[in-house]
Amino acid sequence: MRLESERVPPGRWRRTVVERQASGARFGSLHATAGEVRLLLVLPGGGCTLLITGGAEVESIVADVPAAGWAEREAHDLYGIEFLGHDPMRPLVLHSAEEWRVPVTGGGVHDVAVGPIHAGVIESGHFRFHAVGERILLLDLRLFYKHRGLEKAARGVALDQGIVYAQRACGTCAVANSVAYAQAAETVLGLQCGIATAHARTLLLEMERLYNHLGDLSAICAGIGFAAGGMALAALKERAQRLNQQLFGHRFLFDTVEVGGTSIEISSADARRAGAEVTAIVADAGIVWRELSFNGSVQDRLCGVGVLSHHQALRTGAVGPSARASGVDLDARSSAPDLLYPGFRSARLVDATGDVAARAEMRKIELEATGQLLDPLLQDGIRPERGRRQLEEQRMGFGRVESPRGETVCVVEGKSGGIERFHLRTASYANWPALIDVVPGNLLPEFPLINKSFELCYACVDR
Amino acid sequence: MFLLLRKLNRLRRQADLERGPGGSLAVRHVDAGSCNGCESELNSVANTFYDLQRFGINIVASPRHADVLLITGPVTRRMREPLLRAYEAMPEPRLVAALGDCALGCNLLGLPSEHLDGVESVLHVDVRIEGCPPSPAAIASALEAALAAGLGR
Repeated sequence: MRLESERVPPGRWRRTVVERQASGARFGSLHATAGEVRLLLVLPGGGCTLLITGGAEVESIVADVPAAGWAEREAHDLYGIEFLGHDPMRPLVLHSAEEWRVPVTGGGVHDVAVGPIHAGVIESGHFRFHAVGERILLLDLRLFYKHRGLEKAARGVALDQGIVYAQRACGTCAVANSVAYAQAAETVLGLQCGIATAHARTLLLEMERLYNHLGDLSAICAGIGFAAGGMALAALKERAQRLNQQLFGHRFLFDTVEVGGTSIEISSADARRAGAEVTAIVADAGIVWRELSFNGSVQDRLCGVGVLSHHQALRTGAVGPSARASGVDLDARSSAPDLLYPGFRSARLVDATGDVAARAEMRKIELEATGQLLDPLLQDGIRPERGRRQLEEQRMGFGRVESPRGETVCVVEGKSGGIERFHLRTASYANWPALIDVVPGNLLPEFPLINKSFELCYACVDR
Repeated sequence: MFLLLRKLNRLRRQADLERGPGGSLAVRHVDAGSCNGCESELNSVANTFYDLQRFGINIVASPRHADVLLITGPVTRRMREPLLRAYEAMPEPRLVAALGDCALGCNLLGLPSEHLDGVESVLHVDVRIEGCPPSPAAIASALEAALAAGLGR
């Protein structure tokens, strides 16, 4: 989608950002290039603008936009930008320095280090807790063990080929990341796609949400040791992934999204059969949910644990089901002109308590909503389609998509058909700081459960 | 609860899974920079459709308990050290399995300065499981084959 950029003199950077925020713009992402900082603001209507400022020294905006904290630390580590007023500037990506650690202070406070290798089949990352007894005082994260330098490696790659860098950033958000990239790259190339592409992409996004939400609910059951629920939901996730394999030839829907059209071909009969299976999966998930709702020992573990308040969610810039469970009405599907979400209304909880129970219930409601969205999408087949070069080529473009974990934004800058700078800010990147905010005050043994209720990826943060 | 257990029991009967050869393998997984696809499939082998544990193959919490180190990802610069430390912590005899194309050094993406070219750049690989990501069925049959070949004894 088209991205208007605006240069801001370094002396006016912070003031401009504050003014835009006051007029309703919301922080989207912040990234650096060699010697410049770019801030993506999401406007109330769903469009975006990019503010650009130059110089190796830039005023920090974290005091006014706390959600920009990680992004400034990353820009400092990877591009050497100094953010004046961001103090202490602790390393986020660079692991060589020891300054990332918060010193342990106070009587009876001990340091609990976990990872990067965890006890289960979990991605790599290091957690450090300060705790008194079992009560957590502070959580600090050291991620980026899986940093592969994808954004820098994509430089110079042809715009239509670069989509693999977005897709391979994360296996379980592959569709969301690729659609965000495709939207951005198509704008740069001046390509316009038709209804079949929108149909295919919306279908893929919702199929991705289906298996992810089932997996997340299964993980929450596993987090409290409720194996019966965990296994029942894992079996439903397996059915959803087998359906992905049947319809699209890949359990994680890899290589299904492309720049400038779609190659997906599904017959009406196959689509309707898949629709029936989706309905059956969602109905079975409803049965499992009913069992969970009437199980006292399950509910007892979920309620009141890991509360993300409405204020915290807004301040940390949380997105997705985790933010909506705290009453933040934010869903990128509400304004998605390039996708098929007519009259979409984001799911809402009657009582958005922001605890693990609310995040679980949010997923259950969204699972049903996904079933309803998929129903019309699977009434008709899809035929391949190529987009046309109808629009003017642009220097830059953005994509904005609701992944299973929340809003994902992608900025692509191109020059003569190649990628000049590509930045992907996934929902997990936005939500890790919210998790850090939630954990203090809870008990150490509750952490895995709280963590699972957010179900954040490491891969698409580390990139 | 009882309804769920009954349903799971039925699923298990319907799947009619065979038992494997004798012996067992204790597997420790290390993510050395994957995209999370391989982890997701490795978790799926425990579901009722595959039930890897019926072969005596279990994911264990510590490398000290493990016979096999199952590695995903191309081995990023920052995971090299933790990976080698996990390997050193294992009792002998020990096996190394590379799970997925990244771990096998195929089609790698990213900056060469940030990652190595797969597990073989640091450790000898005994079991190779191809795929991007390998399906749970492929993972299950590769580990079962390792067990049948006597690697677990």
